[in-house]
Amino acid sequence: MSTPDNKALGKSQRPRVLVAMSGGVDSSVAAALLVEQGYDVVGVTMQVWDYTTCDIEEGHGTCCSSVDVDDARSVADRLGIPFYVINCEAKFQAYVIDPFISAYLDGQTPLPCVNCNTYLKFDHLVRKMNELDCDFLATGHYARVVTSESGRKTIETSTDDWKDQTYFLFTMDPKLIPRLMFPIGDLKKPEVRALAEKQGLINARKKDSTGICFVGNQGYDNFIEKHVAKDLLTGGNIRLYPSGEVLVTHQGIHHFTVGQRKGLGVYHPNPLYVIKIDAKTADVWVGDEAHLMSTNVRVGRPHWIDSIEDGERLKVKIRFQHKGSWAVVRKAGKRLTDRLTDKLTGELSDESTDELTVEFEEPVRAVTPGQAAVMYRGSQLVGGGWIL
Amino acid sequence: MSFTTLRASVRSTGVDSGAYYFDHNATTPIASAVASQVPSWLAEWGNPSSIHQVGRGPKALLRQARDRFASLIGAQPLEVVFTSGGSESNNFALKGVFEYYKTKTNALLANALPGGSPRNRYVVSSVEHPSVIRTIEALRERGAEVIYLPVSRSGAIDLESYRRLLDGQTALVSVMAANNETGTIFPIAEMAQMAHEVGALFHSDCVQMLGKIPIDVRKLGVDLATFSGHKFYSLKGVGALFVRRGTNLESLVQGGGQERHRRGGTENVLAIASLGKMSELKDEIAARGEEMKRLRDHLERRVLHEISGVSVTAGESPRLPNTTSLVIKGVDGETLLMNLDMRGFAVSTGAACSSGSPEPSPVLLAMGLSRYEAQSSLRLSIGWETSEQEVNHLVEVLGQVIAHLRKIARQEDPAHVNAR
Repeated sequence: MSTPDNKALGKSQRPRVLVAMSGGVDSSVAAALLVEQGYDVVGVTMQVWDYTTCDIEEGHGTCCSSVDVDDARSVADRLGIPFYVINCEAKFQAYVIDPFISAYLDGQTPLPCVNCNTYLKFDHLVRKMNELDCDFLATGHYARVVTSESGRKTIETSTDDWKDQTYFLFTMDPKLIPRLMFPIGDLKKPEVRALAEKQGLINARKKDSTGICFVGNQGYDNFIEKHVAKDLLTGGNIRLYPSGEVLVTHQGIHHFTVGQRKGLGVYHPNPLYVIKIDAKTADVWVGDEAHLMSTNVRVGRPHWIDSIEDGERLKVKIRFQHKGSWAVVRKAGKRLTDRLTDKLTGELSDESTDELTVEFEEPVRAVTPGQAAVMYRGSQLVGGGWIL
Repeated sequence: MSFTTLRASVRSTGVDSGAYYFDHNATTPIASAVASQVPSWLAEWGNPSSIHQVGRGPKALLRQARDRFASLIGAQPLEVVFTSGGSESNNFALKGVFEYYKTKTNALLANALPGGSPRNRYVVSSVEHPSVIRTIEALRERGAEVIYLPVSRSGAIDLESYRRLLDGQTALVSVMAANNETGTIFPIAEMAQMAHEVGALFHSDCVQMLGKIPIDVRKLGVDLATFSGHKFYSLKGVGALFVRRGTNLESLVQGGGQERHRRGGTENVLAIASLGKMSELKDEIAARGEEMKRLRDHLERRVLHEISGVSVTAGESPRLPNTTSLVIKGVDGETLLMNLDMRGFAVSTGAACSSGSPEPSPVLLAMGLSRYEAQSSLRLSIGWETSEQEVNHLVEVLGQVIAHLRKIARQEDPAHVNAR
């Protein structure tokens, strides 16, 4: 036990790591590995959602329920590390929930995990890392921080291809990378579970979180309906692409996502898929699977972790599950209106208003507005942007 | 009798929790005089309601505890109802009176009262403990008329506006003796007398006052008063409601006739005995309070002198001798708490929150502090065992941590800080 005087002087000589613990097995093992490696580890859970108003079945693979906070606390107890719950409800509402809902109302399919990373995990927690005198911030992401021979640090895909989560990390501030740790990025999921078993962590066999933590099992459309005024969820027509023939009416565009086949309520000799969603007219266009294929994709608000050459050939993922396809990425330049706005406000930001065009070598299926196009050079995450 | 607390030495988490404990308003350590007696009380495992010999030992413990506790607060033994704690006592007082007026008086008094309706107005301060606020809100849903008494930034209740709220419709007034967050003491004797002038009952949550200032329920003139064991160096799971003789209220827990039919359920003999044991220290309380006040004042003097941008909330009001509530400019209380905890200092940003994730204190907001001020607040509460050396350590570490956090705030959001 350190003496009071030592404690008053500050921390121990060991590097201190703030580890974001969700209560799931991945971040728990991340924390356990850091303890094993001799770091001075501090656990923290972001309370992002008020569970009292949340009817998600608790502990069933969600990352926001109070049972999960308890799991994280229990793991921290087991590891013998300090543990705190940080209230992030207001920030989560503003930066994750609200944009999620408005994206659906715009006919897009949102990707809230990226915003959670951008504005909470790798912003709010970075501030906490500094305030708590920590040297590093660690998460349970399947991703790796790799140091090149020149000492430069990059984010690379995880050893487990199937679980790789770098897709959600494309908005990372490159300056932050030297202070990041992804302790399980070199492991495969079964190895992570085995380590959890070995350490006797209570969530070793807990179900993986799938889908979006605050939506849970209720389905996106139910979630949207609970959180949006009824008059904003107007119905519309389901039209056949490209003829425009009205096949049937629908109860609101939030029930649909590009590439969807089930639940259209349409009887037709050929299988039909949602091709696009027009929020302005509330039209949902459906058609033959061939119409889902595209080679040219427009991407907005790009963010770069590493610079690219205009016209560089990169591997591009258009959704989390997509394994990535080769494409030539071109900078389409700034739109005139954005250039004017920039001039007026004199603002400079990392997230430019430039657009990109991504030209795939082979057509990709169901390019979905609101999802991200994330770019890789080999295993290196170089950046990405939002599909328009 | 000597009093030495067992040093909190919870190391199950590997975190050195409570080496420096400045959170006595949340809970107190267990007195060694209590801890050393626990084995002898454990031996009395019988049911105090049993008629046979095995029941006599625990029955005697209960009686002894009741006598001593009654003497501690200046009550008669039969006016003491043991409960599971402060929250239950507050629920019991409020719901008990409400149920009584709702059920018993409807038939009896409906015709006798002006307007033909029984008393149904409940007046509570806006800075009560959640066990009062949430209970009263539940009663509102069941038809009670509820009025909140505002409390000023300096911790004062305006007695003239209070008087104007009182009339023949007022069933009960509930105002805490001292606030858990700021330590502000309210003029209970005066307020109880005003309530009695219109025939209303008066309840006071005295949880925070016990062990800090001598209490005499007769001098306070209250009909009902709430107490808790674990804020007074006793075991958790015991509290008491003082029910002045002749005060009518319905039971919260129906059961086997324990506590003279006022609270059913086999008594928590162990915890009740611990509260009884502590009650023996009645004569020490005044001197303990004086010593805590000396340390608290020393703490405040040093903090205000050595750390810039700090103010004491309601510092000018009559206060508990052990409590100080600070607003520290440019510092997030939550982060400050974590930093201090990691250095072995247990403090609080407001009322202890069971979720472990504090929202800005409703008490401080109710007193008119801004959200920002409430989020930058720190509560320090001293105990019987706190030493001057511990206070000096705290001030030094507090100064370092605040400087560290302000430096980060300046780096990360300079505009934000300057705007303050």
